[in-house]
Amino acid sequence: MRRAALALGLVALLAWPWASPRYFVFLASLSLVNAIVAIGLNLLSGYTNQLSFGHAGFLAVGAYTAALVTTRWPDVPVVVTLAAAALVTGLVGLCLGVPCLRLEGLYLAMATLAFGFVVVEAIMNLDWLTRGNDGLRVPAARLGPWALSTDTARYYLVVAVAVVMVWAALNLARTRTGRALLAIRESEIAAQASGVHLARYKALAFVISAVYTGVAGGLFAFVVGFLSPDAFDVFLSVDYVAMIIVGGLGSVPGSIVGAVLLTVLNDSLAGFQNYRPLIFGTLLIVSMLFMPGGVASAFRFLKGERG
Amino acid sequence: MRVHWAWLVALCALLATAPAAAEPGVTDTEILIGGSNSFSGPLAFTGEQITKYGVELYVRVVNDAGGIHGRKVRTVWYDDAYRPQDSVANTKKLVEQDNVFAIIIPQGSPPVVATLDYLEEQKVPLLFPYQSSPVTRGKRGIFQGMTLSDRSSKMMVDYLAGQRKYKKFAALYQDDEYGKSFLGAFEKDLGRFHLKLVAAESVKRGVTDVSAQVAKLQAAKPDVTFLVLVPGPAAQALKERQKIGWNDTLMVSTGPLTDERYLALAGEAAEGVEGLSLWPDPVTSELPGVKVYREHMQKYFPKNEPNRYSIAGYFAGMLFAEGATRAGKSLTRESLVTALQGIRGWESGILPPLTIGPDHETQKQGFWVRVEKGRFKPITDWLKAD
Repeated sequence: MRRAALALGLVALLAWPWASPRYFVFLASLSLVNAIVAIGLNLLSGYTNQLSFGHAGFLAVGAYTAALVTTRWPDVPVVVTLAAAALVTGLVGLCLGVPCLRLEGLYLAMATLAFGFVVVEAIMNLDWLTRGNDGLRVPAARLGPWALSTDTARYYLVVAVAVVMVWAALNLARTRTGRALLAIRESEIAAQASGVHLARYKALAFVISAVYTGVAGGLFAFVVGFLSPDAFDVFLSVDYVAMIIVGGLGSVPGSIVGAVLLTVLNDSLAGFQNYRPLIFGTLLIVSMLFMPGGVASAFRFLKGERG
Repeated sequence: MRVHWAWLVALCALLATAPAAAEPGVTDTEILIGGSNSFSGPLAFTGEQITKYGVELYVRVVNDAGGIHGRKVRTVWYDDAYRPQDSVANTKKLVEQDNVFAIIIPQGSPPVVATLDYLEEQKVPLLFPYQSSPVTRGKRGIFQGMTLSDRSSKMMVDYLAGQRKYKKFAALYQDDEYGKSFLGAFEKDLGRFHLKLVAAESVKRGVTDVSAQVAKLQAAKPDVTFLVLVPGPAAQALKERQKIGWNDTLMVSTGPLTDERYLALAGEAAEGVEGLSLWPDPVTSELPGVKVYREHMQKYFPKNEPNRYSIAGYFAGMLFAEGATRAGKSLTRESLVTALQGIRGWESGILPPLTIGPDHETQKQGFWVRVEKGRFKPITDWLKAD
């Protein structure tokens, strides 16, 4: 049953560009990129209870890394580019995660919020590298002899990467690391008492989360094709937090649903012009009031598993 | 047999209308144009004014007068909050879902530049983007809106060094494409008078404290200090100058800066400041086109004050209507581009007679203003920049 559903989902993903209007191919790519970020954020916030309001910063690091690598070395295969984005963002995640170990709740939220601002400032000031406020055009990604220069080609790249990332996230929960992270979420003291190295795993969660967001950032660069600091403002970080709250904390499918819902919502509200932030905010408040555990818990509720 | 004839006639009618119907965004009764703009985020006020109270204002005028060759103009606007990813998404949606005929007056370098390659590839005309970076130059489908930096610089330097005989120039500029393109142009134009900038200080975007830069510029003792900034830091520079009592320099604002918001923020510190103005004063000018603009605003949006942004959008709407009218009944994207390119000596009553030509620039002249009692007072006629 589960397998059939998975196969069906995969077929739907692969058939999407042929079945939907062209614009929705781009929108689907953007939704999947956001889904990868949401999964990454959820691994941090949903699993180890560390709330981050700075994931737009990680996204920016990944995006600029991928863009700069592709600009300097246009022939590098996209897999290597994305790996570089993951590596750099992971290192940044480590550098942020270790000093943040002592911080909790609001204080951690403040520190990560500041991180988001620092990244944007850094992009503006390193203008010899990033072209600052003028923005950076991203050349097409290359895979061997092919340049991924159409929406459809980029979509398949995003799908391939997203499938791997989702698979890894689903399996993480079943590994020693995943169990340690979940134990930390339930109770840090209990986890420590059962032999979980708290500092190591909390820092690791930061790194994994950053790696996910870095890879998404690389994809973001190729999908959008242009980067500037304006893309990574604090509201984007807040959007990501909203995605995992709407989707459901600690749930991988929830992250995906939340990301897709909010991306599509944000897009379809663009026509409301000045009223967009108002409507967006109202819908979020309503969904949190009536669905406090997010879409994931609503699913569980429908399936009859309460709590 | 009769029935067959009827079919044949219907088929012919269909074929006859087919070429017009085939052009995206154009039907027998309607032309659809639109754009992605800032309706939230840092430039929301500007975005709303240039679109809903600017382009839209002129569209209402045109539609109430019967439209363009019988077609009513309809607009569609999407909010991008100044984010490039949202402007890319909106632009794709406009082209692929809404099937717009042309994109009109999108705002800001990053959101506009992010869509350039795509629009060029899809051969969708990009009309009068509200940004001054020269990257939009030399492309067939793009008609520049704002005056580009090199033209502004030429007018400013010719006037100040040529007519007013100033010798020592300095600049306080924003550290990005906007500031740097002006800086390069100043150097080049001053070079023609065998002069150069005696000092240049940069300000990062978003920074409001400019006291260190102002102090350094004062030390260089320039006769004229160019302000290539946005309203916030520019007003700050004027206040700082007043605070330290630096009176022996003439502060001069660039075209994009010379607006009412800058004036309001600087308050009395702006008194005596000069600048290049790209638009006649929307509130007080007695030019025939500006008076008509105010009448239209009064008629359609009586609650909205006339301002520089809405008049820019209004002018964009006018120019689009002019191009589309010249392109004739069989309007296509290609015929619009050709028609706009062919505009010679066109009178808008707002700006001097306009000849577009192959450079695709639609705003090539400004005039000199001095701030007196909190308003820009014109002190020259339109300056030349050819």
